[in-house]
Parts: sequence; C-alpha cells; structure tokens
Amino acid sequence: MSTEAEVPAPAAPDSPAKAELDKAFSDLYRAHLRDVYSYAYYRVGNHHDAEDLTEQAFLQAYRHFERARRESDGRPLRPWLIRIAHNLASNYHRDRSRRPQTPLENADPIPARHGTEAVVEGREELRSVIENLDSLPVDRREALIMRFALGMDNREIARALGRTDGATKVLIHRAIKQLQEQMEGDGDEH
Amino acid sequence: MSTEFEHLLEDALRPIEPPETLSGRLEQTFTSVSQAAADELSAWVDELEESELASLREPRNWVRPVVAGVAGGVATGALVVFEARRRGRRSRRRIRSAASGFRPRI
Repeated sequence: MSTEAEVPAPAAPDSPAKAELDKAFSDLYRAHLRDVYSYAYYRVGNHHDAEDLTEQAFLQAYRHFERARRESDGRPLRPWLIRIAHNLASNYHRDRSRRPQTPLENADPIPARHGTEAVVEGREELRSVIENLDSLPVDRREALIMRFALGMDNREIARALGRTDGATKVLIHRAIKQLQEQMEGDGDEH
Repeated sequence: MSTEFEHLLEDALRPIEPPETLSGRLEQTFTSVSQAAADELSAWVDELEESELASLREPRNWVRPVVAGVAGGVATGALVVFEARRRGRRSRRRIRSAASGFRPRI
C-alpha cells in the first residue's frame, strides 16, 4: 500500500506555502532564540561556542521544520528545538574529549568556564550554584537548566529529553536535592 | 523541597541574552539557505527531465526490454513443449493398459 497520499509534498520554492512556512519558522526562531542560546551557553560555557551551537541548531531545525510542524500536531516546538541543541551539545563534548591535547606551551588561554562572573555578578552563593551544577550528572544538569534558565515545565522537559513525565519529575527532584546537599556540604567545609 | 532554594536556582540560572550580531547573522544564513535550496531544486528538476529524455533516446537502453521479451518467449515455448510431451505420454499409457485388458489368457 502506498503512503504517498498521506505525506504532503514539500512546499515548492516561491510558492505561497513555502512563504508561509518560512514565516512560521521566522516566528519560531524569534520566539526561541534566547532559549536555545541560553541552553547552549550553559552547556558549553562560552559565548563563542554557544553562538556556533545555536546557529547549527536553528539550521538543523530549518531543514526539518516542515515535517516537525506536521508531526507536532499543534504542540509547542520548543522541546524539539532544545532537543536538537541537546544533541549538538553532546556531540560538542564528545568531540572535545576525543581531541588530542595541545602541549601547554602552545595552548591559548582557556575561556573561563560558564563566564560565571558575568552571569552572577559576584554573588558568592550564585557562583556556588553554577560551580556545583557542573559536578552534577549531565541529565540532572540539563533538567535544571531547562527548568530554571528556560522556564520549561515537566512535560516540555520530558519531551526534550525523551523521557516520561513521571521520570522527568523524579529527575528534577533528585537534581535539586543533590545540588542542595552538595552546597550544604560546601558550606559545612568553610 | 525548599522553595527558597528554587528561587536561588532561578536567580543563578538566568536566561542569557544572545548577542545582537547573532540574530542578524542567522537571518542572513536562513535567507541564503532558502535561496540556495530553491535554486538547487529547480536545477535538479531541469536535470531530471533532460536525463529522462536522454535515457529514452539512448539505443543501449533498448537492449534490455528486447532481451527480456526473447527470454519470456523461450520460457513459454519450453513450457508448451513440456506439457505436450506429458500429455502424449499419458495417452500412450492409457492405450497400452486398454489393450492389455483384451489380451487372451493362456
């Protein structure tokens, strides 16, 4: 049986459908540029790579936007965008870990992780949150970034991470608990 | 779970504003990607039509259908001959057994 009848043909260039699609993508991009950028920044820790990652994420989204819109069935596309950024960030960290180490005498200065100073404007407690966040397992860290930096709800985070709502709720709860315990431990040491 | 701690997290993980240059650069990239895709698609459609016509005109592409037709004909002929021989054998057997029924007993 052919499925051709069920799958609409891609919009032809210069057609009204294509113009409408481009307009919809432009709206999506304007609405979520800050979300994708914030996510990328908290994952890679510097503006330069965050810009690259954001650009790549939107380019990928642009290529598959027509299908994503069709399959989303009217649901918000932010989790999809963040999932693209999440995959790219994972590739970024994997590539970095495989890259051969540069001898120290040739090494350029390493950009400050998270640019913490700029983000938290010197408040010690906030700086400690960022530093402790780094030591959490990746999935917990991501869930906290999505919840607190992007303001995503459990359902959106679940869709972005490919988990159930229940598992996501547990993940966030444990992430907050672990972070709080770590910070209390730090406080006791001082 | 402490709400106070969650407020602290909200404060620490503030959204980061993207640089203004990024927005302009991305818009430019989308425009050029969209234009390039449109150009590529039209070029591809033209190439496809031309290559299909060229393929029909190419005599080398006629050999396959002819070979297929000949092979089909030979196979059909072989089947007809086989069936005819099978029927011939069966009728000869029937005549032989009928004749043996009339053979006088010694």
